[in-house]
Order: sequence, then structure tokens, then C-alpha cells
Amino acid sequence: MTADTLTATQPTATAGRPAVELVGIGKTYGEAEVVKDLDLSVEAGTFFSMLGPSGCGKTTTLRMIGGFVDPTRGDVLLHGEDVTDLPPNRRDVNTVFQSYALFDHLSIWDNVAFGLRRKRTGKAELRQRVGEMLELVQLTGRDKDMPRELSGGQKQRVALARALVNRPSVLLLDEPLAALDLKLRRAMQVELKRIQREVGITFVFVTHDQDEALTMSDQIAVMNEGRIHQCGTPEDIYERPTTAFVAGFIGTANRMTGDYRDGGLVLAGDMRLRTGELEGCREGEQVTIAVRPEKIWISDLTPEMVQTDGLVKATVYGGPTTTYLMEIAPGVELAVLEQNLQRARTEDRWTDGERVRIGWLPEHCLVLH
Amino acid sequence: MSSAKKSDRLWTWLLLPGTLWMSVFFVSALALVVALSFGRTDELGNPRFSNTLENIRGILEWTYLRVIIRSLVYSVSATAICLLISYPVAYVIARHGGRYRNALVALIVIPFFANYLVRMYGWQTLLSDDGVVMKRLRDLGVSSDFHILDTAGAVIGGLVYGYIVFMVLPVYASLQRMDGSLIEAGRDLYGSPLRTFLTVTVPATRAGAYAGIVLVFLPAMGDFISAQLLGGPDNLMIGNLIQDKFFAGQNWPLGAALTMTLMLLLLVCMFAYLRQTARDSREAAR
Amino acid sequence: MSVTTARPEPAVASAAAGTSRRRRRRRGSGMDRKPRFAVAVTALFFVLLYLPIAAVVVFSFNTKKSLTVFDGWSLQWYRAFFNDRELTHSLGTSLEVAAVAMVGSVVIGAALAFGLVRARSRLGAAANAIMLIPLITPEIVTGVASLMLFKGVYLEPGLATLMIAETTFSISYVTVILRARVAELNPEIEEAAMDLGASRMQAVRLVTLPLMWPAMLSSAILIFTIVFDDFVLAFFTTGVSPQPLSVRIYSAIRFGVQPSINAVGTLMLVASILLIVLALVLPRLLGRHGSGLDLFKS
Repeated sequence: MTADTLTATQPTATAGRPAVELVGIGKTYGEAEVVKDLDLSVEAGTFFSMLGPSGCGKTTTLRMIGGFVDPTRGDVLLHGEDVTDLPPNRRDVNTVFQSYALFDHLSIWDNVAFGLRRKRTGKAELRQRVGEMLELVQLTGRDKDMPRELSGGQKQRVALARALVNRPSVLLLDEPLAALDLKLRRAMQVELKRIQREVGITFVFVTHDQDEALTMSDQIAVMNEGRIHQCGTPEDIYERPTTAFVAGFIGTANRMTGDYRDGGLVLAGDMRLRTGELEGCREGEQVTIAVRPEKIWISDLTPEMVQTDGLVKATVYGGPTTTYLMEIAPGVELAVLEQNLQRARTEDRWTDGERVRIGWLPEHCLVLH
Repeated sequence: MSSAKKSDRLWTWLLLPGTLWMSVFFVSALALVVALSFGRTDELGNPRFSNTLENIRGILEWTYLRVIIRSLVYSVSATAICLLISYPVAYVIARHGGRYRNALVALIVIPFFANYLVRMYGWQTLLSDDGVVMKRLRDLGVSSDFHILDTAGAVIGGLVYGYIVFMVLPVYASLQRMDGSLIEAGRDLYGSPLRTFLTVTVPATRAGAYAGIVLVFLPAMGDFISAQLLGGPDNLMIGNLIQDKFFAGQNWPLGAALTMTLMLLLLVCMFAYLRQTARDSREAAR
Repeated sequence: MSVTTARPEPAVASAAAGTSRRRRRRRGSGMDRKPRFAVAVTALFFVLLYLPIAAVVVFSFNTKKSLTVFDGWSLQWYRAFFNDRELTHSLGTSLEVAAVAMVGSVVIGAALAFGLVRARSRLGAAANAIMLIPLITPEIVTGVASLMLFKGVYLEPGLATLMIAETTFSISYVTVILRARVAELNPEIEEAAMDLGASRMQAVRLVTLPLMWPAMLSSAILIFTIVFDDFVLAFFTTGVSPQPLSVRIYSAIRFGVQPSINAVGTLMLVASILLIVLALVLPRLLGRHGSGLDLFKS
């Protein structure tokens, strides 16, 4: 591997440290506190996503890692080294921008070669690496074209190649797939994951699309209003959300709020839900629980399940699954997701107005704080 | 200092040379004009700063006041005529120009980069009493008492000629941006093209018209070439007075006062324009 | 105005006469048809626009001294111009002033343009206002103000004052044009260049300037033409000598008939028109080639 004369970090010397660490990071613009006291740690070689709605501060955080935004307080560390005061060109980090930010006056080849030329890479090696990269993103043969001749998906791949060719230890991606149509986005998600695995670089990926985050990431940080609500594997985030926001943002939550009494929850209209013991809840306290739609059964109920009656308010056919909207108490509606295994025909499915007995296992009650 | 903060500073630093230059060479200059309006001339005829109001009083006397009023009349007339001409021209180019549109606009713009003096001089040559035009008219039997030059009409015409491009371009831009189907809908409703024009096209393009009005009226008020080359002693405008006070008559404070009058008129116009556009955008948002 | 034909065709003029109701059944056919009144006005407009220019050009070739009677074709007035020491000196002065104003205003204007679009400080709003005022100020006001400023600091009107004054109002024009161009640029491209290892200076040189220079070039040519032709401001801020060409033309017009004015005028016309066409065409031509070359191979 060629000596990278412009990198400020030596990964081998500080092996074992996380690739990216944010310590007490905060950013305030005038009156607005966009990022509030963030702590983050990204393991080397992982695909790490920051997920949240628009305005939650995820892009600002990413830009602080890249060096384009100056943190109001806190430190940014790359492989253990404090880079908070370093400009972007001195950090061993490359970025794929949401707008791609391709250089319109340069050809595809020159775009991709840009970073290597700044490092004064030798001609032969440059040619080899750029060629390899173009092949990796499947754009060989288009090296003489100009950015304006490319489609959105192709531009995105050029942006990716341009960043990856420099072999950074960390790659930052700012909603790179947002502008692509669905099919292309799905294909690129697979591609990105494959490339990340193949090259072994740490990816820090920002998105507002929860499906994208769930399918691609090794770790997800769910953010809202400048704070990280929860950080964990996709499974952790989905099956064990720790806050109401996380439960609601990822998938459907099916929230139920009531007073916790005698091993059960009393919902509106005095409806009792025999949930059994709920962890961390005191007698008489008002508690909110959530249940995922696919965990709710409409048939084959067992005695240990938390059971209740539901009135079918709507049926939504979705191809492989059907979603039923059921009212179990005044003003309390649950979405129930069922695979259409046995009920392939409309007559077999429940219809609006029917009363059904539903239930779910007690361990699927998620207590929200 | 991190680079992000540095780059913010950099952009602010870039503002400095330009702002400094403009403040020194333009803003302070304007302030001087206002200041000298209250000045007087000393025994040697040199302008001196003071705090007398006699210049202002002098302007309000009829000799000067009527020139100011005349300038207003000329400029308003010129602006109105520019509007009347610009709309048909812009309309034809915008809606019927086809692929020659850009070429036509270029053809309109190009003469205005030619020397203004020279073009006015051309008119003076053409319209003078022994010029081509007058000779033809006299052949056709027009009386020898009829002159084109040395009239208010000539001066107004000169103003129109000099500044009409600043009306055509904004109106054209507005017309281009306007949704063509509005006109068709109007035709359906109103039948006559003229009514459609007045009730649909004009209101839809009034932003361009307002811009054009400001861009024609203000320079026209300050113009002195048209009056000098095409007009007579009865057609003088504020600009001619100012020129006289600074060069021939050597009464700088009075000249400054006259200039300040122009500046005030400018402010009033801009204020009216900004208020109107603000009102329009508020209505549009509703 | 309205021409009588076999078919009754609705024209704006007849509509104005109030016969619209009769013509209503024809409204479906009228959409793409050219409105004759407006077209006539347009044609007349173009004729009148170029008429004085034509007059000046034609009479510049007049053999006779008269400005009103055309006798025959001759180049004598052009010869007279080139032989007139003072006139050619004035031409040189005009070119000098225009060149200085061009360079000064493009440099300062480009800086202002970037500052106005990218800076987040409050200075931006003030700078914006200050920069815009000259655009709406009648030139005579700018001229008087400049004259007073120079006299106030005991600077005699001369070449320097002329250059300063012309540069000042040029800055406004250039800034407005360039600001639009800077606003179009994606600010992330500079960040991308730095992300890839370029220093801030390198980023500007390699990425921003190549995208800016067509606009800078055309605004430079534009301002050169405007300053070259400028009269009012020059009139107030110029000294006895050297005088720019436009001021000399003015003196000649006022104080005596000098037929070579037509020749000078024609030359200035041709020069201006060429420059403007250049300004419009050049960036488009060079832009296409410029983007194909990698001028910065390291």
C-alpha cells in the first residue's frame, strides 16, 4: 500500500480504538441547538448508520466528523487521534455528498482521480487504482464522459468511486440514495453493502429511511432533535426500542397507555389487559407499552398470551401480508400483521365489523420510557 | 482554529474590499452632496460648507420649480410611452418569436451598448431643420413653422429612445414566465383580445412593468443629453440645471441642492416600488 | 389601421372598436395568429431603434462636410480621425480607463459576489444594500457626488479620478452578474475538493474558478464596453486633459460641427457591438472546450 502522505492518522499504531469517536459533541447555530451533547463510538470495519427524521441533526453530526462543521463543544477522534481542529483535507476520511458534488468541468476519470492527484500518486498506480475503482462501480468505459451526461444512479456511483479510490479508513455517506428511484435504490443498497464488506472500510451512513438502515447496517444510532435515542444492532432497535420515539419511528408501534395495576394495564374504557409483570414499573403508575404488529396472533392463541377482543375496523391487503386495524378499547387501535399463508382468498380473511380474539406473548410487551 | 470556522471568516473577509471601496467612493460622496446643499459660495466663488437654507429656498422658487415640474412631466410621459410600446413588442417576441426569440432580444439589447451620445447625435442630425426628415416633410407640404427639434415632444421622444430597453426587458421576462394558458382562458371568457390583454395579461406581468417603470423613470429624471441635443431653451430639465451650476454657472451649493432633490425623488420612488412589490407578494401568498 | 379583406378577421384594432361580440364565433381560430397591430408596432420599433445608428454610419462615409446632405462615399473622415493626434489620444485614454475599471471591478466584484452569497454575517446585508444603490442612482447624481468627493479631498479631476469613479459604479454591475453565478454553484463542490485532499486555495483554483471564469469573462467584456461608452460620469470626473473619447465627442457636438464625429461614432458603435457579441458568444464557445481539458494534471 502506498504511503499516504497527507493522512494524519496511523491506523496500525492505534489499532483497537474505534474508527470514529464523538465525545460530548454539541453544535449551536445562533439560538438553535442542533446537536445536543452527543457521544458516539463506531467500531472499525462496520457499517454504521445514523437514522432519524429531517432536522434531527444527523447530517450536521456527519459533517462534524468530516470536518466541514466546527463543533461548538466536544471532540472528534479518528482511530484515537483528536482531529477536532483538523481541516477536511487533513483527515483520513472521505465523503459521498447527497448532491454528489461532482466536478462538472472534469471528466469521470478526472473526477475519480482527483484525490489521488492531490496526493501526488504515481501515474502507473493512479491508472491502476482508478481503473479498478471504475470497475468496482461498473462504470468502465465511461471514463471520458462528463458528469452532465450521466444519470442520477451513475453520478452516485462516480461519487462513491471518487471517495473510495483514496482508501480512507472511514467513508461518510450523506443520504446518498435519497435521489434515486425505488428499484435503483434497492440495487444500490445491495451494492454498497457488498462493497463495504469487500473493502473492509468503516462506513458511516446517514439516512431517514428506516428500511434502508435496518437492512444495511451493523449498528444504528436513532436520532431525534439533536440527541441519540438509542444505539444498537438493527435487531436491538426494532425488537427492544428503549424510547417511545424509537418504537414509533421504526416500524409500527401499537402503543397502549394505561394504569399499571394488579399485573395488568387498565386502558381507556376500563379495558383490562392481563400483561403480567412489567419490568421497571410500579403499582399505580401510568405506563405505555408497545407491541409489534407481526407479534399479534389472530388464530392459534395460547393461554399464556395476553389476550383481548378486537373489532375489525379496516383490512388492508398487501400482497404477502394483510394488515388489520383493530379496536380493542375506545380510541385504542392496533395494527395486526398477518402472512397470507392460509388466507389466500378474500373470503378467508376477516372483514370489517367482525369481532376477533387476538393475543400476543407477554415478552413482546415493550415498555416505553 | 478549525477550518470550518476559518472558511466562514474567509467569506466575510471577502466582503471587505468591495464594501470599503463603495463606502468610501460612493456612500460618503452622496453624503457630501447632501452636506453641501446647505453650503454657500465665498467671495472667490468657491463652495464652502455652511448651514444655510437659501439653496433649498432657491429651488422652491418658480424659475427652478417649474424645471423640476417639467422634468417630472417629461419623465412620466416618457415612462408611459415606454410602457405602451414595450408591451406589444415584448408580447410579439415572447409569444410569436419562436426560435428567433433570443436573436430578437439580442437585437434590441445591442444598440444600447453603443454610445448613447452618438445615437442621440444621430437623431439630432436626422431631425434637424435641414435634415433628411424635415426636408421630406416639407416636400409633402408641411408648413415651415413646424419643427421637430426644440420641442417638448422631441425631448420626451429622446428619453423614450434612450431608456426603452429597460422597460422592454423586464416586461419581456414577465411575459415569458407567464403561463400561456391564462391568455387562452381569458380569450374564452372575454372574447376580445384587448379585454383579455387588459384583464389577464397586464395584471399577470405587473412585476415586470413595475421594474421597468423604476428603471426608466429614475434615469430619465436625471437625463440632460436629450434636452440639450433635441430640445430648446424652454425644454430644460433638472439635469441641465445641475450641469450648468457645476460647470458654467459655478454655484456648487445650489447644484448640490438640486442633486439632492433628485436623490429624494429617487428614494420616494424606490419606497413606493418596494411597498407595492411587498403588497403584491403578500397577496400572492394568501 | 385595419385592412379590409374578403374574410372578416378579428384584429386587436377592430376589437378595440367594440366589435368583439360579432367576432366571438371566431375566437377558436385566433390563437396562433400574429396580432397585426402589435407586429406593426414591433417592426416600427426596430426600424426606429436602428435609424439613428444607420444615419451616423451612412454619414460617416459622406464626401461632403454636411451632415444633412449625402453626396458620395468617402473615407476622408476616418482618415481625419486617425490623423488627429488629440482624438487618437482620447481613444487611448478611453481604452485605458475601461481596462482599469474592468480589472478592478471584476476582482472586487468577484470577491463581493462570493461574500454576499456565502458569508453568514450581518455585514452581508449592509454590503448588499451599498452595492445595489449605484444601480438605481441616475448617473448624474453619481457624477456630482464623485466630483464633490474628489474636490473635497483636493484631488484634481484627471485620469485617476475618472478611473476611480468608473470602477466604483462598475463594481455594482459586475457583482450583480457574478452573484447570480455564484448562487448557482453547489457549495459542496469546494467541500468535496477539500475532502479529497485539496487545501482551500487549491479547491478554489481547481474547482471554483473553472466554473466561474466564463461568467467573469463575459462580465469583464460587458463592463469594458459600458465604461468605454460611458459619458455622464466621465463628464463630471474628467480633467481638462486627457479626456476620454465620449467627452470629446460631446464637446464637438456642442461647440461645433465636426463631421469626423460620425466616423468616430461609427467606430465606437462597431467596437461596442463586436464586444457585446463577443461577450455573449465567447463563454459558450470556450466552456465546451474548457470542460474537456484537464488543465491541472499534476
